[in-house]
Amino acid sequence: MEIRLSIGYDEYEEGARMSNLIEKLASGPDSQQLSILTIGDWGQAYENSPDSFLDTLISHKDSFPSLKKLFIGDMTFEECEVSWINQTNLAPLLAAFPNLQSLSIKGSQDLSLQPLVHEKLEELVVICGGLPKSVLEEITSASLPELKRLELYLGVEDYGFDGGIDDVLPLLQGDLFPKLKYLGLKDSEIQDEIAIAAAAAPILDQLDTLDLSYGTLTDVGGEVLLASERVKKLKHLNLSYHYMSDELLLRWKQSGLSVDVTDQQESDEEDWRYPFLTE
Amino acid sequence: MNDSELPFLLIGNPANKRTHGLQAARTKLGLAPAIVLPYEQLLQRTLYIEDILRNLIGCKEVIIRLDAPGEHQAVERELIAWGAPDRSGDDLFWSAGSLAEDISIAASEALKLPMEHGRIFYPAQWYRGYCRFLAALQRETRVSGISVRWVNTPGSIARMFDKRSCWHQLSRHGLPMPALPAPVGSIKNYDDLQAAISASSMKRLFIKLACGSGAAGVIAYQLNPRTGEELAITTIGMEEREGGCSFYNAGLLRRYRERSSIRRIIDWVCREGAHIERWIEKESFESKSFDVRQLVVNGRACHTVLRLSRTPITNLHLRNERRMDIDQLLSTEVEQAVKLTAEAALRAFPGSSTAGVDVLVKRGSGMTYAIDINPFGDLLYGAEYEGMNTYEWQMHQLLRKES
Repeated sequence: MEIRLSIGYDEYEEGARMSNLIEKLASGPDSQQLSILTIGDWGQAYENSPDSFLDTLISHKDSFPSLKKLFIGDMTFEECEVSWINQTNLAPLLAAFPNLQSLSIKGSQDLSLQPLVHEKLEELVVICGGLPKSVLEEITSASLPELKRLELYLGVEDYGFDGGIDDVLPLLQGDLFPKLKYLGLKDSEIQDEIAIAAAAAPILDQLDTLDLSYGTLTDVGGEVLLASERVKKLKHLNLSYHYMSDELLLRWKQSGLSVDVTDQQESDEEDWRYPFLTE
Repeated sequence: MNDSELPFLLIGNPANKRTHGLQAARTKLGLAPAIVLPYEQLLQRTLYIEDILRNLIGCKEVIIRLDAPGEHQAVERELIAWGAPDRSGDDLFWSAGSLAEDISIAASEALKLPMEHGRIFYPAQWYRGYCRFLAALQRETRVSGISVRWVNTPGSIARMFDKRSCWHQLSRHGLPMPALPAPVGSIKNYDDLQAAISASSMKRLFIKLACGSGAAGVIAYQLNPRTGEELAITTIGMEEREGGCSFYNAGLLRRYRERSSIRRIIDWVCREGAHIERWIEKESFESKSFDVRQLVVNGRACHTVLRLSRTPITNLHLRNERRMDIDQLLSTEVEQAVKLTAEAALRAFPGSSTAGVDVLVKRGSGMTYAIDINPFGDLLYGAEYEGMNTYEWQMHQLLRKES
């Protein structure tokens, strides 16, 4: 069973609170079967963080014995700009739900995952306009033995990405998450650098899918990927939303590889390239 | 023209798609072509509606349709000249008083304006000119003594065009409208806006040029209460020029974050006249937010087009994705609510029989709001209702009324 909780502007003004919705859900008949819980806007997320409901969710953990998937912050720009969504340290959720398999997070303002330790988590997704270096470090020093899918929106400096390629490299080594099959390092303004590093990375030998979509990938990174023997062994490569040339797209097509090169972008008049999620 | 058919006058720009679309529909339905009265000649006073009407003496009634004056350079210049402070005119429909020097130019200057694509010239003066033209048209029509049926009366067009009076009219008629951070028209500059935000605690607002068409002059503005950051998403582009800053319709959305730029844009929009209301979060489909352009003809909702956008501003001019398979996208209840809201909006303007109403569906609640009414909002490519395009449907309705 899947449930989504969200509070609009007016409801919040009228006094509705996410913690009350969670309490109601916990005491209701659906709580025992609930396997997917999505928390959308908790009410003016540009002002309030999940601290306003996190303790409530954790204290009712026993009411949700079947919970497998959790999404904190599923909202659109109509509710809050992604770079303005206030987050907090969400690691206590992982400790409270030892059977969780999937955690998705949107927004990176004040986000942390400390300590990032979980015996059963298979999927971790962080969607944001810019992922702070500090969160990348928490991920690269995590203990997630069952992690199969890791999807990170790296974003741009203006929205909180204060790192560089060196902060991403540990994720490409291949010794962090032994069961990882899907790696997404996406929505980056240094997508070419990431592509070049990824093309030769040992981790490709264990992956099914490499996802470098939504970023500013150009022919510079695209050529290196296309020439890589390791890339050829992947089951799928996702490069959708990119700035590669028509000529290179043709060569991808002729390569016979399973690659998504849809949603070609053009640089704007001042030759700026933007990742997909930069608001 | 057969005996029972009423003469149909079309005031518009002869070479544009609207005029062609309407004439094609008339031909298809076996009606005589509309008599086209070009805005350019009417404005230049080389043609008078009175003279045309006098030639139709003996007809039971004459139907007059006013179409959009836009996208015609000479017409744009003439309208700005008509609104000039050094020209007199009938300000029956114009209530904003005299125009400040920095937002107006003399008539002779207006006629020499170099038209640059997208540049937004003197929107308040333009609107004042259009109001004067509409008032003149109404007066001359009355003087002719001929019985006239307006598709949309000059007065109702003038009122719909001003987003401030439109908001008032709709709320007076009981339609739920987005809340205002301060009384209509009271915010005169950026500092007033900040004061209104503090007083109302509304931090996300839509700021619109009160008399703009299309997406021209719309700003989705938000203030981050925690950090004090501001963000203005808008089609307004700015260019430094000799003697100040000029503003244009960028065609693509821009994001402004620096306070100095945001202040300049908001000060300009407010000086020209702004309508400012709370940003109501729109419903979305596949992460794109949307609103609905609902055409209403003779009291009944007909053609519907959904406009989807990856930004807060949905507008057909922004190359937004359009969808007409509304059955797939809206529940029956929401579709019905949209139609009822649009029809109710038209009832607030008894002088108008046809308009495109922009209806917003509030996210998560199914609540509908009529956020804009466009008296010329019937140019909807590809939209069909009962097998007819928008012009065919209107002419078909006209025939039904006649018989």
